[in-house]
This record gives sequence, structure tokens and C-alpha cells, in this order.
Amino acid sequence: MQLSKIIAFVCICGSAVVLSCGDPDISPDMLDGEVIFDASLYDPEAFLVSYSNPNPTPEEAEMPVIIVSHGYSASTFEWNEFREWNESNTEVLISQVLLAGHGRTYEEFKTSNWQDWSKSILEEYDRLVMSGYKNIHFAGSSTSSTLILDIINSGYFNDKIVPGNIFLIDPIIIPSSKSLSLVGILGPMLGYMEADNTLDEDKYWYHFRPEETLRELMNLLNEVRKELQKGIILPSGCSLKIYKSERDPTADPAGAVLIYKGVRGANGDPIDIEMIDSDLHVFTRLSLRTGIGQKDVLNQQNTFEDIIARISN
Amino acid sequence: MLNHYCKFFCWLLVLVLVLSLSGQRKLIAQTQTVSVGIRLQKSINFYLENGFSVYYDSDKILSDRVLFGFHYVSSRLGSAINSNAIKQDRLFLSTHYIIRPQKKLNILTGIDLGYFHADYEEPVFDDLQNQSFLFALEAGIRYTIIKRISINSTLGYNLITGDGTSGAGTLYPLYFQISVLCNFQK
Repeated sequence: MQLSKIIAFVCICGSAVVLSCGDPDISPDMLDGEVIFDASLYDPEAFLVSYSNPNPTPEEAEMPVIIVSHGYSASTFEWNEFREWNESNTEVLISQVLLAGHGRTYEEFKTSNWQDWSKSILEEYDRLVMSGYKNIHFAGSSTSSTLILDIINSGYFNDKIVPGNIFLIDPIIIPSSKSLSLVGILGPMLGYMEADNTLDEDKYWYHFRPEETLRELMNLLNEVRKELQKGIILPSGCSLKIYKSERDPTADPAGAVLIYKGVRGANGDPIDIEMIDSDLHVFTRLSLRTGIGQKDVLNQQNTFEDIIARISN
Repeated sequence: MLNHYCKFFCWLLVLVLVLSLSGQRKLIAQTQTVSVGIRLQKSINFYLENGFSVYYDSDKILSDRVLFGFHYVSSRLGSAINSNAIKQDRLFLSTHYIIRPQKKLNILTGIDLGYFHADYEEPVFDDLQNQSFLFALEAGIRYTIIKRISINSTLGYNLITGDGTSGAGTLYPLYFQISVLCNFQK
């Protein structure tokens, strides 16, 4: 009798917690709402090479194209500074991908899964290949790095055009906030989490993170962690470099250790890695941040130059 | 990798069972119990780290309501077997309060204190913090199957974990462990 009372009490409390989770309070000033959308949805030609030049000349088809993609809850804005920095360079083309479910509305984000996010990167790659581009590279920040690693592991580039270079900026394999590992238990009770964005950042990053997408993120991290444990071999002719902040409040730097141990070149060689003296997550994005110093600007510029130099060789 | 892991623990389990049936090792006074066995520990959404545990309890200490433990677990005996997983080790002491000590099924609550170290291997990672004190809370059960064999299972929560800017990055908060123990009692 006493045990049944305890069980009944727990069930009532649990129901109360679950039923108390409502929808977040989304304002029109947020990307989460139905007013602000990622610019690439209005003007894909300005962001995607496959749209801006779907019929390249034979010379244009040989030009390096780097597909850049952003992190979880972010948008194409995350790579705007790289595109602007490269604007005067007519020798390298940049294709900015918007991941599925991102840059749109809270509801669309909520119903997306990590496989959808990955497809967005592959769709741009496939369009470029169909258009005839031959010199393709990838750069992913944060969660896009994780997606790219999974794509490599899947063998997608077998019998296709192999990417010449892959650049991972602050890749996430281990979350800095270890509470993410508890999302399967706490998520349904919380419903969503709030990011600590500024008002300006709220226009380019989702403010609210549905627990469904946090679980998708954790599933992706687990999947790729296990792939790294088994070992990922790069396709022949493909190089990979990691740029990782030494102090990162989102992607734990220990994740770089897992990638360095887990990925090998086709000839068995280790990959390249550069640990960056930075406190920022995605240190290549400085816009809208406060307290940026000379060191941060140098980190960004040096990384952009290194990426272009490697692609151009 | 799974086959190697399974074989290793099968042999360890056989060893514990053989020792328990041998009846040869009476180490201590009548009212004291030393339990030795294997510990299988899984961090939620992270590594399997396995090893061994040694427990001691005595009915002269708070009427057999306190269980002291010494433990070593490592990914070297778990996720890092034949894999690229980071090799990390934990060495810690535990103190558990036993509820229902005279019953076959006991409830345990306690704390762990110890040391954690992860081997990042390469000099490029020398500036990353890879060690930490361990401070965890545990709660669970101990079930005595027969006089010689008991199973101890607890859920633990590490109060000290890394956060990407300080602390060991591969120390996750929540874990589950199960130990199979051989009891030596006089």
C-alpha cells in the first residue's frame, strides 16, 4: 500500500512536470519567429555557387570551390566574414550552405534531424559536381565539422570527385557543457533550452533550442565519436586540418584529440592540427561579438589565409 | 573489439568464481568482510571504463552500516580496447552507508573521492587539462546472491567535470556501474 502511494506520487509529479512544458515565447525579432529568415533563402545565387554559376566554362570548372557550412542553431551568417574577406579573390569560389531546419522557424528546426542537416551539405556538393566543378573543398564550423566527418566515414566520395581539402573549425565531438549528455533524461522535462544570445545574435542564431534537436545533436556526436574510435580513413588525395580553440565553452578541446587519433590519411599519415590560443567557439566568426582583441583578429585572419593557401596549392 | 572485451571479462569472472568456491582465502577476523571483484562502469553517452573493486566492511564499524571501497577503472579495459578511444584512468576511494545491512538486498548511498587522468598522447595537446580530482555521489544496491557472491550496482554523479575552458574534458557527469564481488568473510 505504501509502495503504491509512492509510485502514484512519482507519476503525478512526473506528469505535472511534462505537462507544464509549453512552447517558448518567440518574438518577431528572433530568427525563431516567422519574420526573420536566413538571407540565403531569399537570394540563393548570392550564397551558393551552384545557383550563381550552374554552367561554368571549362576554366571556371577547374577553379577551387569551398563549401562552407555552419554550426548547430546558426546560419550562413557564421561564414559571412570569410566570404567578405575573400571577396577580392577571384581565384577561389565560396559556397555558403544553410543546413536544413536552420535559418527558418523554431518549428522547422524542431522537426529536423541530423541526417537532414547533413543532406544540405551533400546537396550543394552534388549540384556542383553535376554542374561540372572538379576542384571542391569543404570547411565546417562546429557541428558541420561533425557532419563532414560522418560523410567521409560513410564513403560518400567513393567513385565521386574527392574533396581536396577539409577544414574543421572548432569541431564538436565532446560538448563542453556536459549536461548535454543528460538530454535524453532531462530533455523531455525541459522542452527547450535558451541560448544566451545578444539581441543582434538572435537574428542569426536560434534563441530557443528544442530538446528534440539537442537529442539529435547528442546522437550525432555519439555516432561520430564511435566512428572515430573505429577509425576514419580519408579518401586518397584528400587532406584534413583541424583549427581548434584551446578554451572553448561549446566544443570541448578534448574532442580534437579524438579526431586527431581517429582520422588518418589514405597513406596512414596523421592529419594536420593547429590549436588556437582563443577563448571563442568558432573563432573565425568575430562579428557581433564584444571584447574582441588583436589576438582574435589575427587568429581569424591567419586561419583564412591558411585555408586559401592550402586550397590554392 | 567486442569479442576481445567479452573474452577478457569472461575469464575475469571465471577467476572470481573459482576463488569464491576455493574457500582458501580467509584473510581477516570473523566479523569483517573483504570483497574483491570486477567493476564495469559506463559513463552516460561516453566511455565504458572497467576495472576492479575491493570493499571492506565490519559489524564493529557502525554495526556493519559502512562500506569502504578502493577502485580502479580505465577505458584501457573498456572502450579503448582495440580502438582510438582516449586512454583514461580513475583511481578512487569510496565510503557507502548501508541501509538494511542484515538483508540480502542492501541499499547503498555514498561518496567517491579520487583522481582522474586522461592520456592525450601528443605534444600538441600538452596545454589541455587532462587530469582532475574525482568527487562523486553514488546510490544503488548490493545484493548477496550466495554467501560468497554479491552484486553491487550504483548510479553515480561526478560533481567535478570539464567545461571546455577548465577541467578534464572527457570526465562526464553521470555513470552507471555494476560490480560482481567475491566475499571473504570469517
